[in-house]
Amino acid sequence: MIYLLPHTVFSSAERFPKKTAFVCGKEQLTYRGLADRVQQLAHLLREQGVKPGDRVGIYLHRSIETAVAIYGILRAGAVYVPLSPKAPPERNAFVVEDCGIKILVTHPSQHRNLQRLLAARTQVQTIIGGRKVEDGNVTVFNWEDVAEASTTNWAPPRQVETDLAYIIYTSGSTGKPKGIMHSHASGLAFARNAVTRYELGPDDRFGNHAPIYFDISQLAYFGAPLVGATAIIATDAETIFPASLGQLMARERMTVWYSVPLALSQLLNAGVTDGLDLSTLHTILYAGEPLAPKYVRRLMETCPQATIGNLYGPAETNVCTCYDIPAPPPNDDPIPIGEVWQNTDRLLLNENDEPVEPGQPGELLIHATTQMLGYWNLPEQSASAWFHQQLPGRPERKFYRTGDLVREGENGLLHFLGRRDHQVKVRGYRVELGAVESQLLTHPAVGEAVALTLETEDDALTLVAAVVLKNDLATTEKDIITYLKEQLPWYAVPETLYLFPGFPRTATDKVDRGKVKAMLTPGT
Amino acid sequence: MKELITNYIINEIHGGDPDLEIAPEDDLLGSGLLGSMEMMRLVEHLEQTYNFRVAPQDMAIENFMTIEAMTNYVTRVTA
Repeated sequence: MIYLLPHTVFSSAERFPKKTAFVCGKEQLTYRGLADRVQQLAHLLREQGVKPGDRVGIYLHRSIETAVAIYGILRAGAVYVPLSPKAPPERNAFVVEDCGIKILVTHPSQHRNLQRLLAARTQVQTIIGGRKVEDGNVTVFNWEDVAEASTTNWAPPRQVETDLAYIIYTSGSTGKPKGIMHSHASGLAFARNAVTRYELGPDDRFGNHAPIYFDISQLAYFGAPLVGATAIIATDAETIFPASLGQLMARERMTVWYSVPLALSQLLNAGVTDGLDLSTLHTILYAGEPLAPKYVRRLMETCPQATIGNLYGPAETNVCTCYDIPAPPPNDDPIPIGEVWQNTDRLLLNENDEPVEPGQPGELLIHATTQMLGYWNLPEQSASAWFHQQLPGRPERKFYRTGDLVREGENGLLHFLGRRDHQVKVRGYRVELGAVESQLLTHPAVGEAVALTLETEDDALTLVAAVVLKNDLATTEKDIITYLKEQLPWYAVPETLYLFPGFPRTATDKVDRGKVKAMLTPGT
Repeated sequence: MKELITNYIINEIHGGDPDLEIAPEDDLLGSGLLGSMEMMRLVEHLEQTYNFRVAPQDMAIENFMTIEAMTNYVTRVTA
């Protein structure tokens, strides 16, 4: 019976021992090979004193070792915490201290950045997979040591599916990062929902673009082992060069793709899909941000055989709604987020926690088995994340407050309007920043767009926008503003438009709005 | 050219970090030496310095993953 995440790997190792489980760059592992390495890493972790429930950090780039690390840590009964080697050392040091990480799993290629993290005087005592260095305070095992550890099948610790499995830290737009706690059950529920909905099986080849600290990666990391399929992990270099990514998709005959929209729009903008055989792709999913309709149309031309699905869900609930785009969008209205998928319930509530009238905007609340356990070590924020639905004589149901404004259209589809806190008031009018952005994206020369407000000297708010142009199309700020004036009410037209060569991005490849704002604020 | 690229990475991207050692064959992206933004800055710098344009289909791993690869690529296309 599969009720803990590592059961998926061991079950597939029984059924498909010789089948390739994970591919990354020049490396690959069969299911048998993966199960052995997982067992060995778990063994080593136990020898090092790791107890069920302990947090173990993963400090890895996109690599085959990520799969071994995730499942080895879970097999030992411990909780994995993915760290981004690209994040500032202070942020990683905060996470390490916050959840009490004493052991890190890494790779020699991360040595430089890891030294910076260790220099921040964390309480890390043991490094697995690192480069052996003379350092009296830290014990280092390399991957050869892991490969020599015992593969004997000891009795794993007694655990149940609702036990904590992993903690993902959010980039934390304000203040400190928050650790979102998920159980084995929630990870498995997401994988089951996705493979059921899109009918994925052992013959599928999952393409993965997301780093493991982003839950988009879990379709490949959890879903592929669940059905005994092969997961292809794009390397960091492949995610940066669209031409190489396109070649990887074709060469590996990927059938399933799930990423942020940026990966798809970059692929289309680079014009590198001509001559590539992408006919094996039958399911292309994206989440995290909207994909402009113009890209959806081009994607449908490039991959006419594929189902293109817009998935939506905050990291606290993982995916909760989906919309399989039925036909090329006839206009530039934002793509709906669809409706909650199976095993998921939702509410649309107003400021007073009352259901909104049909067609009115409301905050989306989600009740699902994919929902988080809470925030690590933040009891108050965990408590306020939930709405407790109490109907007479019935047990209470917990709904997560997404903070996202949504409207149910006449067609019964949910439309994403923006973050509740992205709704701003300028010149006395209420403006939805997301609406300004989607209008900007309808301009043929605009590749990416951010609308935001800046404080003026007299403490008023001014609406501005920043855009990244497509490199092959010439236009001016004035052209775009003139275009917007034809499309938007006067109060929703940005006062100033800034051209950016590219946007700063968060660890999860979303546009870093805070940084864009800081770059536009004088004196910071 | 190798020295120019190495110096650019150390001085312009890593704030002149004196402890940073980069070998010509180091994977610049997998090792975290460069992120996507930094890689784009470096490409732009090379374009300006050597007065050429990188074609979109050339923006690929084999041309930019290491300092060695960049040097070979730029030498070839500017020859």
